[in-house]
Amino acid sequence: MAILKMKRLRLMIARSQKDELLRALIRLGCVQFSEPEDELLSVESLRRAESDTLSLKSDHAVLLRAVELLGKYAPEKKGMLSAPEEVDGETLLDSAGLSEALTLAGEIIAADERIRRIGSEESRERAVIESLVPWLNLDLPLDVDGTERSSVMLGSVPAKIPLDKLREALESVTEESELFEVSADKKASYVMIVCAKEFLGEIQEALRAFDFTAQSFAGLSSSAKQCTAQCNAALERLAREKAACEASIVEKAARRDELKLAADRLENSLAMSEAADLALSTEDVAVMQGWVPAEKEAALEDVLSRYDCAWECEDPPEEDYPEVPVSLKNNKLTNALNMVTEMYSLPAYGTVDPNPLMAPFFILFFGLMMADIGYGLIMIAAAIVAMKKLKPRGSSLAFCQLLLYGGIATAAMGVLTGSFFSDVLYRLVHLINPDSTWPGLWHLFSPETDSNLVLYGSLVLGMLHLNTGMVVSAVQKVKNGDKAGALFEEGSLWIILVGGLLLATDMLLVKNSALHYAGLAVLAVGVVMLLFGAGRNAKGFGKVTAAFGCIYNTATGWFGDVLSYSRIMALMLAGGVVGKVFNTVAVMPAESSGVNVLTMLVFVIIFVLGHAINFALNILGCYVHDLRLQCLEFFGKFYSDGGKPFRPLKFGGKYVRAKET
Amino acid sequence: MSFLESFGGGALALLGAALAAALACVGSAKGTGIAGEAGAGLVSEEPGKSGKALILQVIPGTQGLYGFVIFFVAFSKVSGLIGSLTVQQGLQILSACLPIGIGGLLSAIAQGKVAAASINILAKKPDDWTKGMIMCVIVEFYAILCLLASFLMLGAIAL
Repeated sequence: MAILKMKRLRLMIARSQKDELLRALIRLGCVQFSEPEDELLSVESLRRAESDTLSLKSDHAVLLRAVELLGKYAPEKKGMLSAPEEVDGETLLDSAGLSEALTLAGEIIAADERIRRIGSEESRERAVIESLVPWLNLDLPLDVDGTERSSVMLGSVPAKIPLDKLREALESVTEESELFEVSADKKASYVMIVCAKEFLGEIQEALRAFDFTAQSFAGLSSSAKQCTAQCNAALERLAREKAACEASIVEKAARRDELKLAADRLENSLAMSEAADLALSTEDVAVMQGWVPAEKEAALEDVLSRYDCAWECEDPPEEDYPEVPVSLKNNKLTNALNMVTEMYSLPAYGTVDPNPLMAPFFILFFGLMMADIGYGLIMIAAAIVAMKKLKPRGSSLAFCQLLLYGGIATAAMGVLTGSFFSDVLYRLVHLINPDSTWPGLWHLFSPETDSNLVLYGSLVLGMLHLNTGMVVSAVQKVKNGDKAGALFEEGSLWIILVGGLLLATDMLLVKNSALHYAGLAVLAVGVVMLLFGAGRNAKGFGKVTAAFGCIYNTATGWFGDVLSYSRIMALMLAGGVVGKVFNTVAVMPAESSGVNVLTMLVFVIIFVLGHAINFALNILGCYVHDLRLQCLEFFGKFYSDGGKPFRPLKFGGKYVRAKET
Repeated sequence: MSFLESFGGGALALLGAALAAALACVGSAKGTGIAGEAGAGLVSEEPGKSGKALILQVIPGTQGLYGFVIFFVAFSKVSGLIGSLTVQQGLQILSACLPIGIGGLLSAIAQGKVAAASINILAKKPDDWTKGMIMCVIVEFYAILCLLASFLMLGAIAL
């Protein structure tokens, strides 16, 4: 329910015991190591130890890549909903079998690379076959270039050029020339030209006028047919090799778990190595610094007392607050909001944890916007199934909890608005019995008929929400000794609010002139206080501009902030309207041609698809707009962000996870 | 006035319903088209991301749905009365249909561009792709407001 109190840890340990200590601390899982302070960095005799972080990183990447490739060639058959395997911490710290796993991963990656090279060799062979197609009729070796006295040229001319013309042109150069048409397609005619060697130059000159493109087949010393056969043989050989490589990868899939475990072990070694990199050492002693939650100090002491080390924990002074990592301690209800807070930005150390304040509003607003019993039940069911099957931790647990509470609120608000998949019950009852007078589910209010009421209600909730933020801000200011700030900023706004309420009561409800003047007077006091507050830190003419700026900002800011809560009503109404139209369309065939199997099938299909779309759109839209109300309007009133997340040295891993102790 | 009367109120009302569906659907077609092009480019490189690319592509498709909702509400309001609607009533229906028509058309195209840009996020930072989705939903809100404006106006028209 609060931001965890942190202590700065300073630790000196015999260098020989450092690795052993890190293994003990990763098991403990509550110490985050940090860069040493500047005064330590300037000590000559303290140096960074050599590190194998880089080699661990590249080994880790190799293992991950191998697991990924296994997934590509031999996809794992596994249900979508299954929790990762749990192993105990000792298994994760063990490094047995690492080199075998690395060899295996190397083989998998090499086989994959070979497969990719085979792919490019295959396309090369196919390109050759393609280029030989026009020459298949030619029974000469393709690299023929003539005899003692004659020259031979192979090439193509565009199809639009008549070959007779070309022949004439060649004969006009010399009688001793001959043109053979080999084949033709839509684009070109493929020809062989034989001529006396001494006329080669002139013949080439003449050919140029006909866009002749000579074709050379370097390295192909047999006929086109034979070359094609050779290429086909090569393709077959490549296909066999490819299949063999693929089979060799698939066969290794049996050892997939070994690779996964090795990858996760390396991830933990990497985490310890990165922590060790932050230490400074002399020949015999390592100096390390970090952070530990105050509540874990005793547990830490218990571990450290087993080693030859000297250590101290101290509360950080206020000027160090920006460096202190932030961890939020929450109960089951407020933990759900961690997801929201972490997505925005953690609170700065020494300020307030917004989750307990935000939780009731977030969940209530979400419920109001979705407001449907059916959708709420789906969310509750999904959350419970996910929590049972996946056994989520950390942020996925927070997500499931948020889904659960959002679902409960959605169903509850659905009861108030009488909405179950919009109005499907009403439609069905009236379909089966057209004379029924049942008015639909009971509702306290309905967004369609009471849209004004819902709109004003949303704005009132918004006022409450914003004022909660202001109370927090005022309390914080008073705590930090800025009583005047609390009085002139929040206080004056509250006085204005009271004045406004008095005036509103007068105008809308009782029409009493005494109330009217009292309201005006209170309002005036509030405005004067606000003006004075704005000008109190400025000097000279600055006071005037500050005051006007303040009036403008307060008026437009508050106006905008409160109106922004109208989105609660908008989303509530939109979801209902879209759902209603789907229901109407779904029962249409049954209404026009009677209730039978076919029309009911149409009903089910349209109903399921339509509500699936509406549900997906709504859940996303409501989450985002709820988030916006919290992060922009609410946080704007009091929140100071910028906390760095607390990332202690603890067991991690992509595929398996350590048992919780 | 007599010019409009020569068409009749029913034609004007149908024109409104037609514009609501057609403009919003054209917008969605363009929006999903823009996002789809970007998505196809990504999927050609990384077929494994096709599911997420598809989700981003369908987000600008909702305006068409909203347009259809308003079309449906307007059409069921006037069907059976088409011959007897006055020009005033026809114009009222037409006016009520305009927000989702125009708003749907333009917001879907704008949303399509955001979705296409979000597909870039999916390509470069796959872990952060939901943030792109959130940016798309921000544009969605204005289409929802248009839907509501049309819906509330249609509800207020007495025939």
